[in-house]
Amino acid sequence: MTDVEIMEKTKSLFGDKIVEMTNPTERRIFIKVEPQNLVPLIAGLRKDLNITYVATISGLDLGESFEILYHFGHDHGSLTVRTQIPRANPHVESICSVIPGAVFYERELQDMFGLIVDHIPDARPLVVPDDWPANNFPLRKDWKYERPPEIIPGGKK
Amino acid sequence: MAVVKTLLYLLVYPGIIFLFVYSTFCEWFDRKVYARLQNRMGPTHTGRWGILQPVADFFKLMSKEDVVPDQADKRLFNLLPIVGLAIVGTSGLLLPVWHFNLAQSGFNSFSGDIIVILYLLSLPTLIFFLAGWSSTNYFSTIGGTRVLTMFFGYEVPLFMAVLSPAILANSWRLAEIAAFYQKKPWFILPNLLGFVIALICVQAKLERTPFDIPHAETEIVGGTFTEYSGKKLAFFRLMTDIELVVSSGLVAAVFLGGFPGGLWLGLLNFVVKTLFVIFLLSLLRAMTSRIRVDQVVSFAWKYLAPLAVLQLLIVILIKGLLL
Amino acid sequence: MKFTIPIGPQHPALKEPISLRMTVDGEFIRDADIRLGYNHRGLEKLAEEKTWIQNIYLTERICGICSHSHSTCYVQGVEKLMEITPPKRGNYIRYLVSELERIHSHLLWLGVAGHEAGFDSFFMYTWRDREVVMDILEMISGNRVHYAINTLGGVRRNLDEMQVKKSLEGMEILKKRSEYYFKIGVNEPTFVARLAGVGYLSKQQAIDLCAVGPTARASDIPRDVRRDDPHAVYDEVPFDVCTADTCDVLGRVVVRVKELMESYKICDFLLRNLPAGDIAVKAPRKAKPNEFLSRYEAPRGENTHYIKSNGSDKPERLKVRAPTLANYAATVEMLKNGFIADIPLIFAAIDPCICCAERTVELINGRTGAEKIVRFSELRKLAEDRFKKLPPKRNAVWPL
Repeated sequence: MTDVEIMEKTKSLFGDKIVEMTNPTERRIFIKVEPQNLVPLIAGLRKDLNITYVATISGLDLGESFEILYHFGHDHGSLTVRTQIPRANPHVESICSVIPGAVFYERELQDMFGLIVDHIPDARPLVVPDDWPANNFPLRKDWKYERPPEIIPGGKK
Repeated sequence: MAVVKTLLYLLVYPGIIFLFVYSTFCEWFDRKVYARLQNRMGPTHTGRWGILQPVADFFKLMSKEDVVPDQADKRLFNLLPIVGLAIVGTSGLLLPVWHFNLAQSGFNSFSGDIIVILYLLSLPTLIFFLAGWSSTNYFSTIGGTRVLTMFFGYEVPLFMAVLSPAILANSWRLAEIAAFYQKKPWFILPNLLGFVIALICVQAKLERTPFDIPHAETEIVGGTFTEYSGKKLAFFRLMTDIELVVSSGLVAAVFLGGFPGGLWLGLLNFVVKTLFVIFLLSLLRAMTSRIRVDQVVSFAWKYLAPLAVLQLLIVILIKGLLL
Repeated sequence: MKFTIPIGPQHPALKEPISLRMTVDGEFIRDADIRLGYNHRGLEKLAEEKTWIQNIYLTERICGICSHSHSTCYVQGVEKLMEITPPKRGNYIRYLVSELERIHSHLLWLGVAGHEAGFDSFFMYTWRDREVVMDILEMISGNRVHYAINTLGGVRRNLDEMQVKKSLEGMEILKKRSEYYFKIGVNEPTFVARLAGVGYLSKQQAIDLCAVGPTARASDIPRDVRRDDPHAVYDEVPFDVCTADTCDVLGRVVVRVKELMESYKICDFLLRNLPAGDIAVKAPRKAKPNEFLSRYEAPRGENTHYIKSNGSDKPERLKVRAPTLANYAATVEMLKNGFIADIPLIFAAIDPCICCAERTVELINGRTGAEKIVRFSELRKLAEDRFKKLPPKRNAVWPL
């Protein structure tokens, strides 16, 4: 199915849930939804359009809100579903009930951005070390790393 | 004079000095054949053609630090390499190379010594298991259990295969068996099936590919030998080498007609025949990959044991018809 | 009697540190747990502070074997972002190096699989052939490992007549040798017996757990980015997507062997039909605010880079998802109900490139000085205690 066909079908099935749908380059479709419509839309995509393969889940720090992008791949290109959640209350629903393989990406989102993914099957931190101090979320724009001054033992500074 | 000969027998040939020198030579030979089959060079640097490489490895290991884990059973841990070396050294003494008299039994050649040598060669398996057990390390424990699991597979076919030529020769004494086949060399042919089975089982006993599961490096780090280092590891490796020489000597004595000719010609015979057997074992090692322990046991009981029984039947038939 | 065996972080079967904790019962594995983070280097945060050109060097060093795939995926994406198209010759050279890297990686993997299975002879022979490929790559790009041939807008080095001829000869040699070994090596009964039935991943599980690359293709899912998303060269080059339907490690070996043969054909085509022309166009320094999802078929699976720009000369966000991370979920499934003896094989069958799969800050560990050195006896006691006590709150049960 080409881009146009996919966009037509999605609009006819889920038109009420979609806020915006764009097709900037060939084989790339971007759909924007509200957070509460996220899981129903993804379940619908899986059931009706057979789009089941989530490539990755990216997070963006936009200052006042976080934007989460769910990148799906299918036989003729890729489709991205994006949603925005407020920084003060960063909760998003887990899609693992629809696609179990997304758990690793959601765990990474939790570590890196400090979002809270509700109903995630496995809430352990994924990539940060075991003694990482709490409330340190490296990929937020306001988290800077200060490199400690280099000390050469027995040498000049 | 007899005392000097006995002392020479015990210490020099085929005593501990000869076993040490010859087993390091055999390890070099095995490594060189294995490497050339894999399109590599093998040991080339130490000594001419790398002949001194296994000796260098032995001395390097002797000079390394010896670490004993805290929770290990210390006496057992320390004692096992020495006991193992003693066992395989003793089994080497029973090979019919020289200093035996066919007419009367001596300390190194008596009726039933084929059973004794088989028994002594099966003790190292128990030693490996105890070594793995006393290390109290998960990897060693798994290695130890694998050693015993394999033991249930290959031991029975090995016994049956090695005892069939003994039945044909009508004797339980290695020297007499060898003498029988030297007098009537055509009787080696009915035992060919047994020879093949014995080779495969010896490969399993020595824990070489395709049966090197107990110390599979990529899976359980080192298996039974994970916690051994320094002198103890040197002794274990020497023990494995001497086991290689003694097993191939046993196979050559029983299947290939022994080592006739007294001292010097016998020595030449011994070297040539054991090198032939070791060459076949190295070929087997280079050409196959490792199989799982349950596959070893099922292969041994489904194929090797019935074939060994078939070999016994052939021997019994021939004995009844022709002898 | 159940106890937990730690495979990693340091283990001879693993080329890079990763921790797999298996709960075993005799020789069966009842449960597996993957813990990541040992090789995390802070790449995504670092990429936000470097310019577009500097990031090419950064992405190339994510991994050693798949260095060209990360760099190409990034450069593809940035070129689309800046709306520049590299000239045809540049594209051909770039994807020629990609296919050569795929050949190199698959030969390496076959050797590793042979070594993990105990078949050392196979390992020695395939790695000797890898030298032929590395010599060709060194002739083209000057390096054996990090090729550094990509730049924004094309490639940096050109190919002349002699190099094309030598590469074609190299391909001939490799093709003949590969066919010879695969007839003998893959038909070796002990090797096949070792690999068949190991690491079973059914088609439905592979779809649910979003497996990629040869791991998915061996479970009969024809998912290949070169066909799904034909960009640059791949809509002109004829090739087939290779699948197998045995869903186990043997299927993965077969898929990689078939892909090796396909790559030889693709390289041949690219070398014979190299168009004349420039090799690069000039790229602007700044990019307009835009975003793009770049997909690329690395030897291990699909490599995804999501790049967002904000009008300056540094990216706003670079998200890298390497193929091995996508296969971890499938690995845990494959490990359950397997044998201990199969752990290295199952893990090696997804072709783990662990350094690709991990990117973030580990530096803070040294700064706080909180370094814990755990002795092996402590680790063992830890595993025993953890098994005996009730599970702590952080260990949720995974409903699959």
